[in-house]
Formats: sequence, C-alpha cells, structure tokens
Amino acid sequence: MSIFLDETTRILVQGITGKIGRVQTHWMQEYNTPIVGGVTPGKGGTTVEGVPVFDSVAEAVEETGANASVFFVPAPFVLDAFYETVDAGVRFIVVVPEHIPVHDVMKMRTYALERDVLALGPTTPGILVPGKGKMGIMPASLFAPGRLGIISRSGTLSYEFAGILSEANVGQSAVVGMGADPVVLTNLLDILRLFEEDDETDGVVIVGEVGGEQEEKAAEYIADSIKKPVAAYIAGQYSPQGKRMGHAGAIVRGSAGTVGGKCKALEEAGSTILTTPIHVAEWAIKNNLK
Amino acid sequence: MRLHEHEAADIFENMGIPVPRRGIVETTDGALLLAGEIGYPVVLKAQVLVGGRGLAGGIKTASTPEELEEFTGNLLGDEIKGLPVRKILVSQKAEISRELYVGITVDGFSGKPVIVASTEGGVQIEEAARHAPDKVVSVHVDPAFGFHPYQARTLLKSLGLSQRLLISCADVIVKLFKIFIMHEALIAEINPLVVLPNEGLLAVDAVLEIDDSALSRARFSVPDPLDRIENPLERKGKEIGVTYVDLDGDIGLISSGAGLGMATMDIIGQRMRPANFLETGGGITEELLYKCMELIMMKVDLRALIINVYGGINPIHEGAKGVVRYIKEHNIELPIVAKALGNRQEETWEIFRSGGVHVVTEAATEAVVERLFELVGEGK
Repeated sequence: MSIFLDETTRILVQGITGKIGRVQTHWMQEYNTPIVGGVTPGKGGTTVEGVPVFDSVAEAVEETGANASVFFVPAPFVLDAFYETVDAGVRFIVVVPEHIPVHDVMKMRTYALERDVLALGPTTPGILVPGKGKMGIMPASLFAPGRLGIISRSGTLSYEFAGILSEANVGQSAVVGMGADPVVLTNLLDILRLFEEDDETDGVVIVGEVGGEQEEKAAEYIADSIKKPVAAYIAGQYSPQGKRMGHAGAIVRGSAGTVGGKCKALEEAGSTILTTPIHVAEWAIKNNLK
Repeated sequence: MRLHEHEAADIFENMGIPVPRRGIVETTDGALLLAGEIGYPVVLKAQVLVGGRGLAGGIKTASTPEELEEFTGNLLGDEIKGLPVRKILVSQKAEISRELYVGITVDGFSGKPVIVASTEGGVQIEEAARHAPDKVVSVHVDPAFGFHPYQARTLLKSLGLSQRLLISCADVIVKLFKIFIMHEALIAEINPLVVLPNEGLLAVDAVLEIDDSALSRARFSVPDPLDRIENPLERKGKEIGVTYVDLDGDIGLISSGAGLGMATMDIIGQRMRPANFLETGGGITEELLYKCMELIMMKVDLRALIINVYGGINPIHEGAKGVVRYIKEHNIELPIVAKALGNRQEETWEIFRSGGVHVVTEAATEAVVERLFELVGEGK
C-alpha cells in the first residue's frame, strides 16, 4: 500500500468543467487514476470525460463514495471550496492553483490541521504514485515505479528529478509537490515523516529552493528523526536578494532563505547535498535506492 | 507589492496610529513650502522601494531652509541603490525619548501571522534579536481567533512596559494588526515607534507589503504595479504576464517553471553567465512565447538562448509555435537550444527543429547547457 494513493482511493476533481480541469481529468484517467466524480457549482447533472458532475462536494461524496479531491478551482474561490470539501468529510485534498491569497491559505491550513485533513499545495503539481495514479498535473511519461520518494517545492523540478532518475532506471515510490507558496498546507518535515514511515520507500530526495525556512526546519527534523538516506538540492543560487523568483515563496530577504544557509543546515543534519539535479542519479545508485 | 512609506503612513493614519505631520514633494520649491508649514527641523526621506535607504544616504535632517535646499537638490534626480529618487517625504522631526519596534509578518512555517515587538527600535530587528534576544518578544496569532488587546498587553508587559505606555503601545499593535488583516499584508512594520518626551507615540517609519495575490480585492486604491518597476525588461515581463529578473550575464533563458528556471541558472552559472531569469508559469500559449522571445531579444549582447519547458499543465507545442514564428519573422540567428519534455513532446520537438532550434531530448538540464557550451563556448 502506498502513502497518498491506494486501492481504496476514490477521487473528485473540483473545477472539472473548466478548461484545465477537463484536460487534466483526461490525463489523469489516461494514467488509470480512479476519478469518480467532478464538482462545479451550477453544472450538476452534466458529465466531463464520462465523469458525473455534481453541484456540491457533499452530494458527490454521497453518490460516489469519494474520499480524496484535487482542485482546479480559480484562486478567488479556493477558500470556499476548501471549507466545503473538508466539511463534506474528504480527508486528502490537493490544491493545484497558484495565486491564492496568503491570508486565505493561513485559514485553510488551520482548518485542515484541526480536522486531521492531509492537504497539499497551493501552487503544487500534485502527487503522482508511479503505476497507481496521479492527482494533479504531473506529466506521467517521466515517472517510473520504484522505491525512492521525491518531495519538491517546484512542479517543474519534480519532473526534472523524476526524469533524470527514470532514465537511470531508478524508480520512485511517490512524487509529492509540497507547494511553492510562502505558507503551504502541509510542511516539508511532515511529508518527510510520511515517507519515513512508508515501507515502500527506501530514501528521499528533497528538491527545495530559496526563500522561507522549510528546508531549515526539515533539517532539524532529519537530524532527530529520519533514518532513511536523504539527498537535497536547493535551487536558486543566482537569485538576487529581494527579488521574487516566480514563486510567491521564492524570495531571499536579507540573509534569510539563501541556498547557502539551507544547504549548510541540511548537510549538518547528515543529508547529501546535490550541487545540480543530475547528481541525484549517482547518489541513488550508490545508495542502492531503486 | 511593497508600498512607499508615504502610502503606508496614510493607511496607518487612517486607522488611528499616530504618525508625524508630513507631505510628499517632487521639487525643492515644494519642499521649502511644506517645511515652512511643518516647522524646522524636518526629516527628508527619499521614496525608493529598497531596504537600507538611510545608510545609502536617502534620509537627511534639515534644520534650516538652506540645508533643505542643499539636500533636496542633491536627492532629487539622484539614485539610491540604483533607484531614481522622484519623490521626497518631508516629515516633522520627532523628539526621541526612546525607540520601540513593532512588526507583523506571515510565519511561513507555522502558517500564522506573527507579531514581534522590541524595546530595541531603530535598528534591524534581526540584529536586535541576535544582540539582545531578551529584548525581542513575539506571539503567533490563531487566524480564526484573531488578535485582542489583552494579548498585546501581555506581550508588551514581558518587555517591561507599564502604565500609560503599555496601553497606548498595545493600541498601536492592535491597529497595526487590523491593517495587516484588512489589507492582506505580508509585512506591516513600524520601526522605530518613537516614544516622545511626553510619553506619546509616533510611528516615524511605515512599512506595508501587500500580498500580490490579494491585490484584486484590495480595499484601497492600488497604485499601478508597473509604475514601481524601474528595469524596462522587468516591466515588460510584468506587462506580458511572466516573471523576468534581469541579470548581468549573456545567456538568455525561458523556462516554464520557477524552480526549473532557478535550477537552469544554477547550471548555466557553472561555466557561463545567465542574462536573466524568465518563468512563464502555467499559462503558455503561442502568443505568450512569441512575446517572451520579443522580451528576451531586448537584452543587448545576448550570445545564446536556452528554452527549458515541461508539458504538465502547459501546452508546450503551442509555445514552440510562438518561438518559431518569432524566429522566422525576425530572421533570428542567435543559437537556441531547447529541452521540452512531457505531454506532446515529439510534436514540440518537430516544431522547434523547423525553426532551426537545437533540441535536446535527455531529461537533465545539464545536457542542454552542455550542448549550448559546445555551440558558443565560455564567452567573456
């Protein structure tokens, strides 16, 4: 049984009738993901890619037995949709959209934590479990089944790492986009804990970037609690101070959030630092993580 | 969006936080008139959106009209840390008895607002936290519960404040928190919060950074973000809807994601020098990449271009059409190497090749940079 997705997972697509929702539902189905329904308020009774659409999450859960949901909801409506989804009893939520106001995310995070909901994002490519399914936008052709976990702040870099590993015949147990916003719904160290406890994962790659202190906090946790081998790459050594590098959370403020500081913390915690992505393959092979 | 000090001070004043008498001027004559009304000495502050403004010579005290003329004459039209000074804030000079610090930010790790207060105002708060950790206190706020005056008093009591100052300072913090929530700020800060000889308070600086993602529902009239971007290439990037950061190298870059873009710069930087960071986000269309090519080609002395994109949420075959259309319309001979993987990759490669773009099909970005290096070498 994999963490995140297993034989009992039944997935809703929220915002399924939008352009991106439709296209991504198609790609998720192509990858044999168990999509059981869609939700768009006001579009109940229609179908998208053969999937029934409901007006509310509660109806969709009632009719389909859904227990997980992936969001392609426009940013201004995400807070409302998130509360609705939690209240309908869904316990795993992937929030793909970017540009969600940070004050909304703080509320969503608090609401989810108090109700024991596991949520990823915002600004995440989602999650892909090779051979089992995917929730989100990851391009499936780059991934291969195996025993290495990947946690990435960046969507595109999660693809890059999976692609490099797959080419070197190193498969992945699960690839998780943790989200690239200043506040995320589940922190890096909490996702690390899930991989540490997963008996289908033998090692973990952290793909971080400048800004914030997720990697520094994760380093403390690794030193105390993680026994599996960990390698880390931190993107953005040429990021000028005070400039936002595309992601809302990718900003060096003064001396905080630099590549150097993050690498130092992770190295001191016993992790292997990868200077560029390609080195992940030799690290995985050397540590026999296939 | 970081607001100018004078814009933030107006918002603070409207909420009832005591701020100095002040005005904004663009000429020396205007400054003279205003200083006459306020009364000397006055503080002159260049309105540039950069930290460390004071140390860079952007803040002066003028005790006489002659001093004021000299300082404003020097400041206006000059640059502070590379940013032109167009406006000067002329402000009442406060009589300082002591200086406090209050600030509110988003704590990314806990996902909560954090309120920080210190009796060591007037310096960088990070410095104060290092040198005098017992004089810096903080409290996290439950987003659902909010922040209440008793919490502010408890916080300030732990700094040793008492009596009238305890109450007035708590009032300022509660009002600053209201501003932080109402305007969806990432940072709201008063440094220093001056204690006057009569124990009154005066916020002599005002910092407010609003979350860009919340600007569309802002409750104040939002200034045009384009007006605050000085670099013309970065302004053009914002106009067309991509993130462009100008650098001083000569290898151009278009990437479809922020992390991928930063990593590509890291790899370019091992042997060559990146000219820019450009990240499209998830909105690639033929038109957008055509415009990205226009933007990239605005950079002078470019030696080559790397295009690094993934087809996850992005239709990369559409993007490739825009690149090739630009190349053909403008007879571009600049060496271009592309890596494009994911959904519809084969179709994308064919389109790129039809425009003379070198296509790399390996997964690792190192391969693109290697190919480019073979084509153009190390450079200067």
